[in-house]
Amino acid sequence: MEFNAMEASAKECLAYYQAKLDEEAWEAKKNGKLVCWSASVAPPEFCVAMDIAMVYPETHAAGAGARKASMDLLEVADEKGYNIDICSYARTNLGYMELLKQEAMTGQKPEKLANSKAAYVPLPDLVITCNNICNTLLKWYENLAKELNIPCIIIDVPFNHTMPVSRHNKEYIADQYRAAIKQLEEITGRAFDYDKFFAVQEQVQRSVFWWNKVATYAQRKPSPLNGFDLFNYMALIVCARARDYAEITFHKFADELEAKDAAGQYAFGAAENEKHRVTWEGIAVWTYLGATFKGLKNQGAVMTGSAYPGLWSLVYTPGDLESMAEAYTNVYINTCGPNRYEEFYKVVKNSKSDGIVLHLNRSCKLMGLLNNEGAEYVNAKLGVPYVSFDGDQTDPRVFTPAQYETRVQALTEMMDENQ
Amino acid sequence: MRTAKEIINEFKAIADNPRKAMDDYKKETGKGAVGIMPVYCPEEIVHASGYLPIGMWGAQKKQISKARTYLPPFACSIMQSVMELQLEGVYDDLEAVIFSVPCDTLKCMSQKWHRPVPSIVFTHPQNRKIAKDAANVFAREEFNIVKEKLEDILGVHISNKAIKNSIAVYNENRAACREFSDVAAEYAAVVTPSDRHAVIKARWFMEKSRHTALVKELIAALKAEPAPEFKGKKIIVTGIQVEPYDVLDIFQENGFAIVADDLAQETRNFRQDVPDDDDALMALARAWNEFDGCSLATDANKPKGQMIIDAVKKYGADAVVVCMMKFCDPEEFDYPILLQEFEAAGVKNLYIEIDQESTAFEQVKTRIQTFAEIL
Amino acid sequence: MYTLGIDIGSASSKAVILKDGTDVVASAVVQVGTGTSGPGRVLEEVFKDVDLTQEDMDYTVATGYGRFSVENADKQLSEITCHAKGIFHLVPSARTIIDIGGQDAKAIQIDAKGNIQKFVMNDKCAAGTGRFLDVMSRVLEVPLDQMGKVHFQAKEWAQVSSTCTVFAESEVISQLSKGLPRESIVAGVHQSVASKACALAYRIGIRNDVVMCGGVAQNAGVVDAIEKELKQSIIVAPHPQITGALGAALMAYEELMKANK
Repeated sequence: MEFNAMEASAKECLAYYQAKLDEEAWEAKKNGKLVCWSASVAPPEFCVAMDIAMVYPETHAAGAGARKASMDLLEVADEKGYNIDICSYARTNLGYMELLKQEAMTGQKPEKLANSKAAYVPLPDLVITCNNICNTLLKWYENLAKELNIPCIIIDVPFNHTMPVSRHNKEYIADQYRAAIKQLEEITGRAFDYDKFFAVQEQVQRSVFWWNKVATYAQRKPSPLNGFDLFNYMALIVCARARDYAEITFHKFADELEAKDAAGQYAFGAAENEKHRVTWEGIAVWTYLGATFKGLKNQGAVMTGSAYPGLWSLVYTPGDLESMAEAYTNVYINTCGPNRYEEFYKVVKNSKSDGIVLHLNRSCKLMGLLNNEGAEYVNAKLGVPYVSFDGDQTDPRVFTPAQYETRVQALTEMMDENQ
Repeated sequence: MRTAKEIINEFKAIADNPRKAMDDYKKETGKGAVGIMPVYCPEEIVHASGYLPIGMWGAQKKQISKARTYLPPFACSIMQSVMELQLEGVYDDLEAVIFSVPCDTLKCMSQKWHRPVPSIVFTHPQNRKIAKDAANVFAREEFNIVKEKLEDILGVHISNKAIKNSIAVYNENRAACREFSDVAAEYAAVVTPSDRHAVIKARWFMEKSRHTALVKELIAALKAEPAPEFKGKKIIVTGIQVEPYDVLDIFQENGFAIVADDLAQETRNFRQDVPDDDDALMALARAWNEFDGCSLATDANKPKGQMIIDAVKKYGADAVVVCMMKFCDPEEFDYPILLQEFEAAGVKNLYIEIDQESTAFEQVKTRIQTFAEIL
Repeated sequence: MYTLGIDIGSASSKAVILKDGTDVVASAVVQVGTGTSGPGRVLEEVFKDVDLTQEDMDYTVATGYGRFSVENADKQLSEITCHAKGIFHLVPSARTIIDIGGQDAKAIQIDAKGNIQKFVMNDKCAAGTGRFLDVMSRVLEVPLDQMGKVHFQAKEWAQVSSTCTVFAESEVISQLSKGLPRESIVAGVHQSVASKACALAYRIGIRNDVVMCGGVAQNAGVVDAIEKELKQSIIVAPHPQITGALGAALMAYEELMKANK
């Protein structure tokens, strides 16, 4: 079946390209090329410049969660001794890796792997990690490298306890870029392709431009864009920003949203269906996407604000390693409180939100532990009410619809009072 | 000459009363204390200022209530206690507090520090092996910033020479502590797990040269008599910390002696000396990047398991007890790898949980007793 | 020679009198545990119908959470050691033991000689223990001793997935209000307990024969759920509640034999 990118919808592109990326990873494996597992906001530019196929465990885990396939994988991790306190993306992925490892060692697919609805991806030949979104990614990838006995490229972006990003911080990161290049030359046995690298950097800038453009549609009032959709499209900015797949899809999506807006079609259909606008702090509850979306929709609340899209607003000057360094370290959760809360405030303000839903994600301490401080900062400035609910990104045992619905209803009542 | 018991009691008194240690120091020197949050802060810089670096490791059997406003129940146990103590005003008389941020929870804690005491936050580099030179330069600059902020707050000048001096004092203390750990293993029939812990914990509240002197006095007192035979089982503990004393006493009651430890509160701080360098801050930077075997110091080779196995052989230990700090992600990640390595090497091991809020220890007692019955 | 094994748990007190290390001459179970009248009463009970008194006991071992408060015990041993001993005596082919009690759950691996190789425990969290079933039995208004029977009436099993007992309670309540059949929810509750117990067992490795003991083993529904989870049949220890006390009495006999050498 031929895929026609020109005629396909953004949604079709999203599905098509996600599957294609996994196929390409398998092709690479078959043809003796390298496969790399990467953290979601780690720089892909170096690996893609060396023609390495990229696979993204976080997106893989999110997909498994959304397809209700994460429990099996979490159980595998549990059997290995991984504490349920640990991030469920890591546990899901380490469980999946264990199954792939067993398959590789025995030549047979373990039952849980054969029955899994999670995407089938090949084991990596190397991994690359970056701690701009958390230090958990350092430990997770340490374990992947150790279990599989493969090289680990670390891009350490130290926590910015002072803003703006300091000079010695940028220099350290740029030096690590140079070290990563050397590492890749050793691993591949080839010289680094600086020309391709530059081209990939330019591609990343184009992808980021269109991703940012798409995100701005949620700032329009009423909003043609339902924020939950961004969670889904996020997969391509994660997995394909170094390719044109992301750019093509987001460009389309932006055009579609523009057209919707012009035609008076909004996230919930007619304009008057948008009764409230909320900011959602945290990642999605992948195992309960439907329930969480509907819980808000039933109250007429559109999710228009999220700090997540901004994590991939990796704007830098191609050819300038220090500029690239700054882009990858200046992620709001990698900065001191005052900067972090201010960035969160901008999200709430720009999205014209009347309320905030804080996902206290059991898996994510870096996000969760400062939820309240952020919300209070915004509340002091804008008077916007907020509620918190307990959930998890991929562990289905940590969320209960009853609690969520109660809290969302309480928020709606507070927002109604404010109107 | 004092007996070993008398000296150990002095260590215990100090370990149990950091507040008094701080007050006594101020009375004697006119200078106060700078709080050192876990883990691996460049204490030598503080020492060089003449102020007392004082460790902040939470409390034992601490009920958490006020801290709940700021931390969910699943935040690391030590941080819960620290936050609770802070809200009670226990730390208000410190001159400053230094935060390192090698884990996500510490990153958040560093931003939750409430006034009045000023906080100084710095970041350790984590690309420590492959990008070692760059990591050294980065760490040196971070330590320099710590130094400058301290100078500002304390109103003192901290010279390179002073830091070099402090490094020498600390290295001497490290050597003394290593020797004590070995002597305690030899004198396992005399030095209980709780005793051993008190001696090492006290170093967090004492000016290091004082601690060294006391440790040396203790070693001499112990060696004055030949070591009685120890008939129990020897264990190595690994984790962040092993407290409260109740847990250490349970080890003792079941015939266990701790012959070596791999704890962030103990040996991980004195296993390796700070190297020689004319640039004292660079020496401290290099020390961090050369440091091995802690879950908070990134290294894709994960050498901790082998280090523990080597220690088991070196000290003739019968088993390893993994003392998991509750809700400590980095340690939790290391555990499954340790399990595999222990299994492959035939090292018997037990897993217990350390929770600063616990007041009842039946579960720990059951596990440790069963383990003793198995061995 | 007579030995006495006493197991004082959180929810119940058990005692066994063993003759010559092989014959159980008396046993008793009282449904109250440590810190209550349980320990005293179980001793009265166990001696009630035999022509023996505590003075006739040559050696007494106490086990369970309340083991240190039993007077006149010659030795205290952990319940892990005692359960393993008791089960191995009753089922010599046992290699993996799953024990779900009132307040904790454990998995124990023993070798061909009955020696413990590894063990893992959940001793902090109510979910997956008898306590969880107590709570659910009240919410569902099905008496605890009927839960097993009701389980087999279910055509489909509801999902009771929460890690936390409190969350699970609200999950169950909302399922009831949605009109899900009670028996389906009972089965779902049992599956929740089973999956947690099996998680412990997987951690130490499943080796046959798998034997279940502890108070919850009397619930045929939980046993069924465990068998479905493991995809194999398991053996329920005869008299699952007293295996700890039996093991204690056996250990007492071993101590006697050691002393007499």
